[in-house]
Amino acid sequence: METFVQSVVSGVLTGSLYAMIGVGLTIVFGVMRIINLAHGEMVMLGMYGAFWGHVLWNVDPFVSVLLSVPLMFLGGMLVYRFLLRKIIPGGELNTLLYTAGLSLLIANLALFVWTGDYRTIKLRYALTPLRPFGIAVPIPLAIAFGLAILITAALYLFLSRTDVGRAIRATSQNPEAAALMGVNVDRIATVTFGLGTALAGAAGALLAPSLYLYPTVGEILIAKCFVIVVLGGLGSVMGAIAGGVLLGLVESLGAVYVSVAYKDTIGFVMFLLVLLLRPSGLFGVGKS
Amino acid sequence: MTLAAPIAPVLAVLALLALPLVATNQFYLHLAITVLMWTLLGAAWNLLGGFAGQVSFGHAAFFGIGAYTTMILYLKLGLAPWYGMALGGLVGALAALPIGLICFRLRGPYFSLSTLAVAEIVRLVALNWEELTNGPVGLLITTLPPVGLPGRPLNWESKVPFYYLGAGLVVGAMVATDRLARSRLGAYLLAIREDEDAAESIGIDTVRAKVVTLALSAFFTGLGGGFYGVYFRYVDPDAVFPIALSVEMVFIAVVGGLATVGGPVIGAVFLVTLGELFRERFLVGHLIFYGLFMMLAIRYLPEGIWGGARRALAARR
Repeated sequence: METFVQSVVSGVLTGSLYAMIGVGLTIVFGVMRIINLAHGEMVMLGMYGAFWGHVLWNVDPFVSVLLSVPLMFLGGMLVYRFLLRKIIPGGELNTLLYTAGLSLLIANLALFVWTGDYRTIKLRYALTPLRPFGIAVPIPLAIAFGLAILITAALYLFLSRTDVGRAIRATSQNPEAAALMGVNVDRIATVTFGLGTALAGAAGALLAPSLYLYPTVGEILIAKCFVIVVLGGLGSVMGAIAGGVLLGLVESLGAVYVSVAYKDTIGFVMFLLVLLLRPSGLFGVGKS
Repeated sequence: MTLAAPIAPVLAVLALLALPLVATNQFYLHLAITVLMWTLLGAAWNLLGGFAGQVSFGHAAFFGIGAYTTMILYLKLGLAPWYGMALGGLVGALAALPIGLICFRLRGPYFSLSTLAVAEIVRLVALNWEELTNGPVGLLITTLPPVGLPGRPLNWESKVPFYYLGAGLVVGAMVATDRLARSRLGAYLLAIREDEDAAESIGIDTVRAKVVTLALSAFFTGLGGGFYGVYFRYVDPDAVFPIALSVEMVFIAVVGGLATVGGPVIGAVFLVTLGELFRERFLVGHLIFYGLFMMLAIRYLPEGIWGGARRALAARR
């Protein structure tokens, strides 16, 4: 029983961070129909931002989110404006290949500048895990979980309560109709891409104290991210949140009850099954 | 065009045959072999990606299957790796059938994502099926069996035999590409690439056409994997199954020129040479140029270098 509770707890904690990465990918897909293969690299940049902030200026990685979010938001908007915008009319496959190129470029520039060494952030307050009710909860993951919930809730409020948020959702549902209603679709796309990038960067900063950092870590994260957004239905924010938590749970329970070696395989098999049998996502909210 | 058409391939083959006589430096020979291997892989990917417009991000699965088939057959059953390589291609083609039937139920970017997932599943199986694959430790060939050619035995310590082997495979893949381009199947594939629904509505069995092409593409990719195994004499899951390997094949074909015979050659010569020279000098980050030129090609030269050059030449006439 204790093992079960323990795996559920760690599954939900990791899952919340997966969810945040997934939400970033899914809103971009919703508005622009882009599957951004460079999304994992955005997470990686957030991780390295937290790392260097910690090493060079002794900034706590969780505080560095305050800086990485606006920076990544700006960076994302620039990437959309100067790189992606001209590519999108060329079709889905062209943008897929283009973002694959961007992904490889960023990852290899990072390899070149920062080398392939594995790095870790050691926090003084995170040496021993919390033990509420005999369940081990790593402190960095617990803080990251709390912040991920805060950020996701803030995003939800932004999307549902503000004019820009409503315009984003309208564009996601029907770009032509949104444009007819006076929404500047191009501006909304720019903001959305910035938002998606900022979410990826923030998730990276939050994950940094709990994972090994290396320049090609994005490759693994993006693969997980696809699993999440497809489980939840591409384009659906709530679906991505549910998909993220579900993947976290599947991984941690799978590692305990199926096999540690094959825990990642379960996620990919689910991914294929959902793609084939229920392309609108498990929860039936996404657009197929 | 009238005279150049038959002469150009002959000249290209002669140049290919003569290269090891000129490039005696081991590094350049290794570079040439690497370029040949990637030409083969780019050409193999191009059969499906270029002609049918189906962007697979999972070809590393076929490469790894080919490499492991060759290594396992030699190490466990003693089958000489040249037969193993051919079988590696065949096993890759066989694996393509179920994979194709699953993934081709999806279209466009969804197909791409599904191939990525399949390749990752295959990688994880190879990593964990230790009785067969030796897991993360990998498989190592210490000595290659002698080949009794009339005259003298081949010296496998030299790189020259591998060069000719690779050149032979590349020529084979290019002939296959040329045949495909002129065949009925090739026409079907172009129709599928342009408009899949329309292709279906005029009676093309699109799934069948795509699966057959995937098998052909997987066959050459598997041969490439077997070649890798024999040349480097060592395989492990990280070396032959990574996502990056699938992606590199895509980049070589796209940057060189999709659905052309010469495109993958140009793509491989250009990107691999840049990449290897970069690696020689800086050790890491050699794929920077792959990413950069992919972005430039999609933006400014969607037909790739070969396609763009051909159009520029045609415009001057």
